Amino acid sequence: MANNPNIDIKYVAKLARIRISDDELPRYSEEMNNIIKMVEAMPEIDDELLVDESNVMELREDKLSESKLSRDEILKNAPKVVAGCVVVPKTVE
Amino acid sequence: MIRGYEVVVGLEVHAELNTATKIYCNCKNSFGLEVNTQVCPICLGMPGTLPTLNEKVVEYAIKMGHALNCGINRICKQDRKNYFYPDLPKSYQISQADIPLCHDGYIDIIVDGETKRIGVERIHIEEDAGKLLHSDKFDGSLVDFNRCGVPLIEIVSRPDMRSSDEAKAYLETIRSILRYIDISDCKMQEGSIRCDVNVSVHKPGEPLGTRCEMKNVNSFSAVVHGIDYEANRQIEVLEAGGTITQETRRWDDAKGESVSMRSKEDAQDYRYFPEPDLGTIVVSEEKVQYLKDTLPELPNARIMRYIGICGLSYNDAAMIVDVPEKAELFDKTLEAGCKSGKLLSNWILGEISKLMNDGIDIHETNLTPKKLAKIVNYIDSGKISTAAGKKVFDAVMSDNADIDEFIEKNSLSQISDVSSLEKIAAEVVSQNEKSVSDYKNGKTNALGYLVGQCMKASKGKANPAVMKELVLKLLEE
Amino acid sequence: MELYEFKACELSEMLGKGEISSKELTESVFDRIEKTEPAIGAYLTLNRDSALSEAEKIDAKRASGEELSPLAGIPIGIKDNISTTGIRTTCASRMLENYTPVFDATVVTKLKNAGAIITGKLNMDEFAMGSSTETSYFQPTKNPFDTSCVPGGSSGGSAAAVASMEAVMALGSDTGGSIRQPSSLCGVVGLKPTYGSVSRYGLVAFASSLDQIGPITRSVKDSAMLFDAICGHDSLDATSARRDYAPISGTLDGDVRGLKIGIPKEYFGDGIKPEVKEAVMSSVKALESRGATVKEISLPSTDYALSAYYIIACAEASSNLARFDGVKYGYRCENPENLMDMYERTRSEGFGREVKRRIILGTFVLSSGYYDAYYKKAKLLQKRIRSEFDSAFNDVDVIVTPTSPFEAFKFGDKMDDPLAMYSADICTVTVNIAGLPAVSVPCGYSEIGLPYGMQIIGRSFDEKTILNAAYAHECGFGGFRAPVIASKGVEL
Repeated sequence: MANNPNIDIKYVAKLARIRISDDELPRYSEEMNNIIKMVEAMPEIDDELLVDESNVMELREDKLSESKLSRDEILKNAPKVVAGCVVVPKTVE
Repeated sequence: MIRGYEVVVGLEVHAELNTATKIYCNCKNSFGLEVNTQVCPICLGMPGTLPTLNEKVVEYAIKMGHALNCGINRICKQDRKNYFYPDLPKSYQISQADIPLCHDGYIDIIVDGETKRIGVERIHIEEDAGKLLHSDKFDGSLVDFNRCGVPLIEIVSRPDMRSSDEAKAYLETIRSILRYIDISDCKMQEGSIRCDVNVSVHKPGEPLGTRCEMKNVNSFSAVVHGIDYEANRQIEVLEAGGTITQETRRWDDAKGESVSMRSKEDAQDYRYFPEPDLGTIVVSEEKVQYLKDTLPELPNARIMRYIGICGLSYNDAAMIVDVPEKAELFDKTLEAGCKSGKLLSNWILGEISKLMNDGIDIHETNLTPKKLAKIVNYIDSGKISTAAGKKVFDAVMSDNADIDEFIEKNSLSQISDVSSLEKIAAEVVSQNEKSVSDYKNGKTNALGYLVGQCMKASKGKANPAVMKELVLKLLEE
Repeated sequence: MELYEFKACELSEMLGKGEISSKELTESVFDRIEKTEPAIGAYLTLNRDSALSEAEKIDAKRASGEELSPLAGIPIGIKDNISTTGIRTTCASRMLENYTPVFDATVVTKLKNAGAIITGKLNMDEFAMGSSTETSYFQPTKNPFDTSCVPGGSSGGSAAAVASMEAVMALGSDTGGSIRQPSSLCGVVGLKPTYGSVSRYGLVAFASSLDQIGPITRSVKDSAMLFDAICGHDSLDATSARRDYAPISGTLDGDVRGLKIGIPKEYFGDGIKPEVKEAVMSSVKALESRGATVKEISLPSTDYALSAYYIIACAEASSNLARFDGVKYGYRCENPENLMDMYERTRSEGFGREVKRRIILGTFVLSSGYYDAYYKKAKLLQKRIRSEFDSAFNDVDVIVTPTSPFEAFKFGDKMDDPLAMYSADICTVTVNIAGLPAVSVPCGYSEIGLPYGMQIIGRSFDEKTILNAAYAHECGFGGFRAPVIASKGVEL
């Protein structure tokens, strides 16, 4: 698969929720394939990816925050709000 | 086995953890508050925000790992699971992919008195999504983000169950453990435990069948109905000469059927990759061991102890253990000096369960383990009758009565003094010659009449067991 | 000399001595902005009123004898991908045209606590994706040294603002060279700190494992001062390093005696313009003459670094930018037919071409069946590149390379060829991949006066050594040379 740099741009774009029109497609395809050709030149590396033990993370104490933003504040950038909720087109269950 | 097919079931259980704060931010982790009031820039995925992992989530998951006899990956990482949905603010869920916190464990379940071992493939930590609210009156869906970032553990079983009964027993055991180690509220109606079910069918001796995954199975009864429905559906397809396609189905509990959501062909591509905003999770060996050492006695071990040491039947033991409060009261009452586990279990499963079913919190009442032990011991020793015990119990509950005082004041004490009972027995036997001869002629129920007369003569205060023995002794002379 | 022309260190002293007020200084900077901004276009949002009132507050505090930080009262511009409460933060994208954050990035909190004055938000390539600031949805930013040329990118607004003296200093962000390359093209100093030394909380993520915020200034000492103010562990950023961050600012002495400089031959190959190589090498010779030793080294995996960089950066970006879906904030398309339509149109209309290209590439390299061939391989290369740097730093203290293979280029020159644009980052991406600190300093000028930059790379958390080497260079080479900004033949 790695040897076949022909990406199914439409499929990948759909996964990324980006719509590409048919006239944009050739340009995207060409650019993408050029990039893929460049990255295809990477050498094979006989090594394994292990969890990086040097990169240890500190965990957070399970303690409630005192400061809190109001709902109005937190939703003020939302495109559409009704009854304290963000509104989206109907999801089909 | 259904119609010659073996049913193979695996379960993925999602349990919400009862930490104080969410998994990646310090918002309150609670259910049922007003929409979008328990959210902050982090759990809303606002641009520039970053997650920080709650240490309690890691601890709770490791506790569950120990309880399910898992190996612990004390060095592990988190991964992003990418998909778009309005209830997922970052459009990815932080979860764990190839290295879960806990792996390769098992639990023993008991079905029809038989113990069966069910493998546990893995337990990993992840964040919950928000909730979508729908209304027919409204053209659109509403998003409540309060649940975003509520910590979850996902417990994945091996496909080791062979019936819906086994699945139910497995779920009950998991729920019981979650309660005992106190890491989840386990309220299915609030969605704090949710379940995905994998079902396949095959003829014994043949390879495993293609499995279908059923989502949205949100009650124990739905698990049973869903598995039975799905197994039958698959068998019907196979019997009609069809083949099962691997797919995700959604269980509709109201309609009692599963419907196809998507097939393998258009399966989601989650594009998992290591979460770059978080470092490596490293839990010290000491911590892992400490969490193991401080694990409370687990339900199965308790059931075995109640059967072995206290002489309870499996069913009674299981019923007490099923409710941690009952088991706690049982153990504390024994500690307070109660001498009969059997009698105590009758009380807990009888009177006390009735109160608890009415929603009474036993801790809030006047009944202490010490008092309960005293009542049960008095009944056990014959000092008071079972009926009198109930009166004492009620008096304690309603007025916090002093047990000894109450027995004294109401003359509830049974006469167990042999010499005074012998006197009554001799009198009754001498006054009922016909019954005595009836008994000697083989009419054994005459004994009951004679004992009854003795009880009457004692105004009900005689210990019936002692009385019976004394009458028998006289009859046999 | 106008107040806006001074460097931060000088201004800090003048403010401290009470020779000038922050208000005068801030007014001077805003006067400058008014004059040159039409020719430069560095700012997306100006914060004039609030800046002036903050400056007055600082002056009052100073007058009352309060002990103030060295940054107190100094006007600083902020790249528009750093979250500022109440000031719109657009990432130069239509997607966030009307987004006003409700929280401050940790670096902004630190600057505010230090009393710095925020002048406004600076233009950039959209979501920091680009090397020329041409992918900004709003406007181009022009190079103060030649307004027909790009300022570099993605922190082009920050570099241009500092070079044109529309801000005393600025914050940029660097994922693959986005601080150093525009600093090089605009003749200023830019520091990409060690990964983990500056909190990323509030930096709108492009590639989480590579992004770092850093200073862009007109002198090395200014960079040290600003870095001192923004570095440090932050409990809000799990990738932030807990360690002692000793202040560097007062320690720079320009003494490079015994400093071992490594020159990696891979960074002086055919892709690099000869004049750039010459400028860098003559600067290295100057350092040698001040007592440093120079050694040729090799970093053999450099050739593949750009590929590994684009895979890792785009993979992370595809996930980081998935949150821009029209639901909670930012742009939403008009009248969506259904959920899928809303997602696709919002994202197709809200993002520009370069952003979409990178999201698609990132989505592809993570997709089922391709992960091992691309993402995993890139991560393995990253591991190898890191170990190559590690062993190089066994022998040398700093590694010197060009910052950009070429000087500022004309608008539109590379916009039609993504690979040509990506090659602008060829000398800088390895540093991000290895998580190391690096500073870019001006080291020469083209015939028509466009600046060249030299990159000095150091060991992890050793900002002090690279800044001191940069300071030594600056002492010899000379400091910031102000560009002549002209509009319609009139010098501004």
